Amino acid sequence: MSIQNLNTRDPFADAIKGNDDDIQDGLVHIRIQQRNGRKTLTTVQGLSAEYDLKKIVRSCKKEFACNGTVIEHPEYGEVLQLQGDQRENICQWLTKVGLAKPDQLKVHGF
Amino acid sequence: MDAEDGFDPTLLKKKKKKKTTFDLDAALGLEDDTKKEDPQDEASAEGGAAAEEDNLDLESFGKKKKKKKKPFNMDEIEAAIPSFGGDDVAASEEPEEEEINLDMDFSMAKKKKKSKKKELDELFADQADDDKSEDKENDEDNSSTWFGSDRDYTYDELLKRVFEIILDKNPDMAAGRKPKFVMRPPQVLRVGTKKTSFANFMDIAKTLHRLPKHLLDFLLAELGTSGSMDGNQQLIIKGRFQPKQIENVLRRYIKEYVTCHTCRSPETILQKDTRLFFLQCESCGSRCSVASIKSGFQAVTGKRAAIRAKTT
Repeated sequence: MSIQNLNTRDPFADAIKGNDDDIQDGLVHIRIQQRNGRKTLTTVQGLSAEYDLKKIVRSCKKEFACNGTVIEHPEYGEVLQLQGDQRENICQWLTKVGLAKPDQLKVHGF
Repeated sequence: MDAEDGFDPTLLKKKKKKKTTFDLDAALGLEDDTKKEDPQDEASAEGGAAAEEDNLDLESFGKKKKKKKKPFNMDEIEAAIPSFGGDDVAASEEPEEEEINLDMDFSMAKKKKKSKKKELDELFADQADDDKSEDKENDEDNSSTWFGSDRDYTYDELLKRVFEIILDKNPDMAAGRKPKFVMRPPQVLRVGTKKTSFANFMDIAKTLHRLPKHLLDFLLAELGTSGSMDGNQQLIIKGRFQPKQIENVLRRYIKEYVTCHTCRSPETILQKDTRLFFLQCESCGSRCSVASIKSGFQAVTGKRAAIRAKTT
């Protein structure tokens, strides 16, 4: 008979497991900003730093037929920036590719 | 209203009520989706006008109902899905299957009541009859099976009977809860070519019982622009915005900072406690923290040369 309290239990088991199957931690903020005229910018903030943002932006540019760049921000890390209103597109793409779950996406703006 | 006030606001009761309203709406929505017949739609819209007005409280900005119908239903369903999860946790001792069955029964009983009472929605009733004729018969059988015999009645039957009695005694409740909360649509005008004025900003902040500054912060952070109050208490936002867009943002604000996350009642107080905002519900007493307003990353949209000149 063993005393349950004395069993050794790895306190980090959950954390390790979480890292494995969790594709993305935290929310991904998708924002829109107005520029001059009818032009807009879409920014994607909060993608995990483990991903290669440059590759992501490269395929996004191809997919949505827009230009885009990765911006290094001291506080928010790497932020994806795309030209035009790509909020719908980026949401669909992120879920399709499996970078983020739909409930992790937070779309801001109007 | 008074009948509802008379009820003791225990958790169980709330849950039941909420579920019933949701189910009715969902059922309506489903029927609308499956059968896209205009007359039927109209009839249901007319017949369920009372019900809708009650539930639409926050969603309706005093606009046409029919237009709002589809998105509203989606919202309801979306909002109800998490609530389902919460309910299951809250009432884990009840088996899930039974709950679902009960809901079905409630909604059916309701429909029956409605069709009996209101002559307006004949079409709708007909359609319902077509759909649920067998179900209804079953219903009737179920509700009165134990009258003659001395067998034990089941929990379902008793519960249904109680709800029928409740609905009979106060017909107001058949329409669901009544959180009257009518909002006027935002008056958004263009000022010049690059600025937008939000004329009744103060009024809206007042009807929501929120500090104008808090609402202002949220609006500006969501829209990713800058703006300020001008002399005659209207908000001037930089950028071009349609009333529709502002309305969307307002709706998101209401969802996050005005309605209670547990019972969705709008009677809440927003308090600041150790740098965090807490939403205290007046009707159910729940208290939960809400997300702080962050504008997040802002891309450079102006002239870079001007920024450089300013910093150096």
